[in-house]
Amino acid sequence: MKKNGTKITVLDPVGQPSGIFGRRLNVDSPMHAIHDPTYQPRDTVEALSALKMAPRLDTLDGKTVYLVNTGFAGGKEFIEELDGWFKRNKPSVKTVVSHKKTSMFTDDPELWAEIKKNSDAVVFGVGG
Amino acid sequence: MPTAPIVTSRFADYVQRDGRSHGMNLRWSFPPYPVGFIPKEILRGYVDGNDPVSGVPLMDEVIFALTAPLTKEEKHPKIVKRPLRPRLLEPDTEENLHRLFLENGWTDGLPIILPTEERVAEMLTGTDRDPHEYVGMMSVTTHEERLKYDVERVAVNAVMAGARPEHFPVILALGASGRPSLPSSTTSFASMMVVNGPIRNEIGMNSGLGALSPINYANSVIGRAWTLMSINLGDMRPGATFTASTGTTINYNNMCCAENEELSVWEPFHVRKGFKREESTVSLFRGWMVSGFNTGPYERMLQVMKNLSGPFGATFTFVIDPLVAKALKAEGYPDPGKLSEKLVNDLNYRFKRPETVSFIVVGGEMNPMWVTTDFSYFQSVVIDPWIPKAGIKKDARPLRMPVAAVCKDGSCGIDH
Repeated sequence: MKKNGTKITVLDPVGQPSGIFGRRLNVDSPMHAIHDPTYQPRDTVEALSALKMAPRLDTLDGKTVYLVNTGFAGGKEFIEELDGWFKRNKPSVKTVVSHKKTSMFTDDPELWAEIKKNSDAVVFGVGG
Repeated sequence: MPTAPIVTSRFADYVQRDGRSHGMNLRWSFPPYPVGFIPKEILRGYVDGNDPVSGVPLMDEVIFALTAPLTKEEKHPKIVKRPLRPRLLEPDTEENLHRLFLENGWTDGLPIILPTEERVAEMLTGTDRDPHEYVGMMSVTTHEERLKYDVERVAVNAVMAGARPEHFPVILALGASGRPSLPSSTTSFASMMVVNGPIRNEIGMNSGLGALSPINYANSVIGRAWTLMSINLGDMRPGATFTASTGTTINYNNMCCAENEELSVWEPFHVRKGFKREESTVSLFRGWMVSGFNTGPYERMLQVMKNLSGPFGATFTFVIDPLVAKALKAEGYPDPGKLSEKLVNDLNYRFKRPETVSFIVVGGEMNPMWVTTDFSYFQSVVIDPWIPKAGIKKDARPLRMPVAAVCKDGSCGIDH
């Protein structure tokens, strides 16, 4: 290799973007799959691009809001405090405290169906 | 459904970056960190108080997230594609390129071998595969975009690690696993890789005395190559995609070793996993904890498992000296599968998953000791498809470090 200030050419060590993303676990995924590329479900740029945020509500008054504990440490207690805040400050809002039955990494289609059926909005917490 | 996600402020950067890469900037609210294991009065203060990231009352943000009309950008989320990487970097001096690699976070902090075209071409002689053949994709995260790589890009990282073409088939098998050695978790994961089969001795790997210590060239550079691949092909960026709170020094080399098939009284690990003895494999493990000083028979092993079974359940991989395998066989366990079965049943009869307890035989018969880890076994990858048809490409004078000249007859005074 040339030294003493001579310029040399080297190859780039970094991988190429793939358009493939990881995704939350399916209900029947093994728990360790969140860190296991063999089992972890995947999303594509195309699938992700099709996702849109839902239109917002005009007001929360008279509406039902699910407060969902996602399962991280302190989540249950925090969501209970959130519920207390609504009762103290926004009594016109009906809140429903709920806890994910699956792990924080796993899909919970039963709960999503329940929320869609019974609720107008949802608060998720607390990540991290 | 209008949604307001709440994440602690410690992860504000992380989730906002993740949202951007997924094309959707959600309306986050960030209470102080942590929220776990603290009094409820403090939590109430978090709910009543301000988001420390924005300075706005937290609940105002939650109400805003659910009721403020969507902006134009929010109605039309867009994933910004990451630019393709070049094949060659801009020419520069050796000194500047070393600085570039270090300052871009493309190394493990130790000096590297710069991947010149000549060196990468030489590394590619270690396989028959086309340099641009797809090998796999990897990410140290769970949700971010995977990076994909071909044979040549694996070769670049192999050169950087100091490897030679004879090591390349093992490194390609690691790449083909798509598994990073340092997956991102605040809990600081460690990994282990164990090679079985004929390639161990052909490339001079150490399975004997000090196999887990820095006294063997092949063990050192192969283990390091897995880390460099995880950094560069797995998109590891500290604080952004890599969140290990304390980290672990095991990440430097990933406990890279070979199994001591010659001195083990048990079938080799890969044979126990369904591979043929004449096949070469690399088996991958991951966990957190390594405890080095353990001696004694079955009962002591069970006691250690009882002491260490934590909230994440009971998963163990014991790295045992050949003398321990011999003692366990003499104790009535000619098959480590039966030993795993008895251990999990005695540990917790409701937890009958013997596959969660593994045994690897490594060491030089200097002491009947075993290393306890809480590592899980994930997979074994066959190395042979990456070996040239003409055989492993060795240098005319393969580089070898001094070999421990002890116990050459494999007996060490122990009656087999």
